[in-house]
Amino acid sequence: MLQFARFAAVRATLAVTTLLLVSFIVFSLMELVPGDCAERYIAFKNTQGAVITTADIDAERVRLGLDKPYVERWGRWVVNAFQGEFGDSCILRLNISQLLGDKFKISLAICLAALVLAYLIAIPVGIYAAVSKNRIVNNFLRFVSYLGLALPNFLLALMIMLFSTVYFGESLTGLFSKEFRDAAWSWPKVQDFLQHAWLPIFILGWSATAFAIQTVRALMSDEVGKLYVTAAEARGVSGGKLLWRYPAKHALTPIVNSLGFDLNRIFNELPVVALILTLTEAGSLLIDALAKSNDQQMAGAIIFLLTASIVTINFLTDILLAIMDPRVRRSIIK
Amino acid sequence: MSKADIEAQKVKEAYFTASQHQLIWQRFKKNKSALVGAWVLIALILSGLFSPFLTPYDPTIAGRNADYLNGAPEIPRFWDENGFSIRPFIYTTERTRSIQTNFRWVTEVKTGLEDRRYVYFFVEGSEYSLFGIKMNTHLFGVDKGFIHLFGTDSTGKDIFSRTFAAVNTSMAVGTIGVFIAFVMALLVGGISGYYGGWIDSVLQMITDTIRTVPAIPLFMALAAFIPDTWSAEMRFFFISLILGFINWPTLARRVRTHLLTERNQEYVLAAQLCGATPGHVIRKHLLPSFTSYIIVDLVISFPYMVLSETALSFIGLGLKDPVNSLGVMLQNVTNADVLLNYQWYFIPVIFFITLVLAFVFVGDGLRDAADPYGDSH
Repeated sequence: MLQFARFAAVRATLAVTTLLLVSFIVFSLMELVPGDCAERYIAFKNTQGAVITTADIDAERVRLGLDKPYVERWGRWVVNAFQGEFGDSCILRLNISQLLGDKFKISLAICLAALVLAYLIAIPVGIYAAVSKNRIVNNFLRFVSYLGLALPNFLLALMIMLFSTVYFGESLTGLFSKEFRDAAWSWPKVQDFLQHAWLPIFILGWSATAFAIQTVRALMSDEVGKLYVTAAEARGVSGGKLLWRYPAKHALTPIVNSLGFDLNRIFNELPVVALILTLTEAGSLLIDALAKSNDQQMAGAIIFLLTASIVTINFLTDILLAIMDPRVRRSIIK
Repeated sequence: MSKADIEAQKVKEAYFTASQHQLIWQRFKKNKSALVGAWVLIALILSGLFSPFLTPYDPTIAGRNADYLNGAPEIPRFWDENGFSIRPFIYTTERTRSIQTNFRWVTEVKTGLEDRRYVYFFVEGSEYSLFGIKMNTHLFGVDKGFIHLFGTDSTGKDIFSRTFAAVNTSMAVGTIGVFIAFVMALLVGGISGYYGGWIDSVLQMITDTIRTVPAIPLFMALAAFIPDTWSAEMRFFFISLILGFINWPTLARRVRTHLLTERNQEYVLAAQLCGATPGHVIRKHLLPSFTSYIIVDLVISFPYMVLSETALSFIGLGLKDPVNSLGVMLQNVTNADVLLNYQWYFIPVIFFITLVLAFVFVGDGLRDAADPYGDSH
């Protein structure tokens, strides 16, 4: 038990270190933008008709703490970031956590749903593909997984939009109906959300599914031919029970480990899909911040949050794997 | 020994003495889909390189047809109610505005015999430079007016010409990006794999961190630095540069793993015992042992580069107008007008799916072929 706690502690430290490195990259990106917050605030005041001097800018810098050394400011940003507090956006002069609101949670929910959907499809299909000798099925699945790469999510989103507009006269975009957009969360709002969210979930899950089928198939085909499976078969276990209880259990545990990277891939596509489907969540906010308003504080916060969720998933899956897989467990507890 | 036996012996000998590249090529040839992919790929690369010759007009605003904005594709035909013609032709279109059209601009198609525009091959057109040679011959064109096989966009630029130029751009972006990623990966992965120990640990920590950050959002943040004042060419190089910088960690990891496993192989020890210098070992033994794998990795990572560039240009953070790429061409397609009325904006998508699929097939075929255990199944 103590060894397990030590393992968890080491993993947690690694996760935090990774996040610190990421926060350094993100913070540096924010700082590299020409013109700091003080200049922007004062420039705004200037547009309001105030006469400003260099002294004013310097005073503003002191007020915002921008005169402190780089490392100190980074440290403060990180400490706040770990508490979910990202300060104010210079452009909008509003608190970032307030601006983000539920939007990041919605993004995360959609992406996780896409991930779950991908594996719900990929595990049975992948297992079937590994066992089946049917050439047509195998070639078809091979083609689908190639297409998963060649037709990336955002092109798929575009195509679906094209067809739905041409044939149904409706573009299937957005996350909420008009009447719920600014309403507080309630059961009807959740229902409305689900009615809209299935399409982004499907689209974001598309590439992930194609990749997951490939992975599951490869892992299963390695396992299916092994002697213990034959032995189990000789004992009279057969069909789905045989597959599920013997090779699948072995083959599928490594998948737990790759969940973080799958989530990474889904996040990758999120902003562009969000833009196409005009979703009102963190992905489109990120594009707005970078492509339109040049709001690096907001962009930094979103990128940090995205990475933080990946790191968290990686940490959780490491722990989960250690609990689930006796082989891993034994390597920890010697 | 009979003649057949000798033949068989020869085949066997050729197999055992074949170099690695010959072996890979032999295995690759057997894979039909990869071979088809390779031909498609070569055709696309060539059509990209020769796009100024193959396409009738300049893909930038210089080649616009101001009288045919958002024009539908014009398919050459051989006959209509006015009779048959050996030479394919298209109709003349004219933009008119009058009291009949409620003073709106309307494109009118004239189908009369005298309004036929005949398609000619090797026609003289706008001047372009192909590999430094100034030319003005285009593969095809019409005797008067314009021909737009894939239609035109909102400014009257020929989508056919733009598509081929875009294929070329994507290949160029991909090549530069892959090259940069390759150099970075060799450097970091090489150092990491060769020295091992704490240097390896630190470098791995950094590469793993970069791999954790979602690439496209990070990419967007970097691309946002490009000032608006930069020229299209500078933008192009900067975008390729970041593409390379973001895609190196995966490759670096592979290089490192290869080096770490190969370094402890017996043949390396044998070479060292014979007194070979480290430089000799790296050049003559270690590098050849995985060049084929690295090439495979590069081919596989190519489509990712192309797709990242497309995504980036699509949201307006990548390449911009005078440069043509799929992302640039798709920039305005999400508005309802295009979706409902001008679906030919989507024609380039077909070319890009083909390009990426061809790359994936070739990459997969190469990976299988480079696998020394590939013969077992």
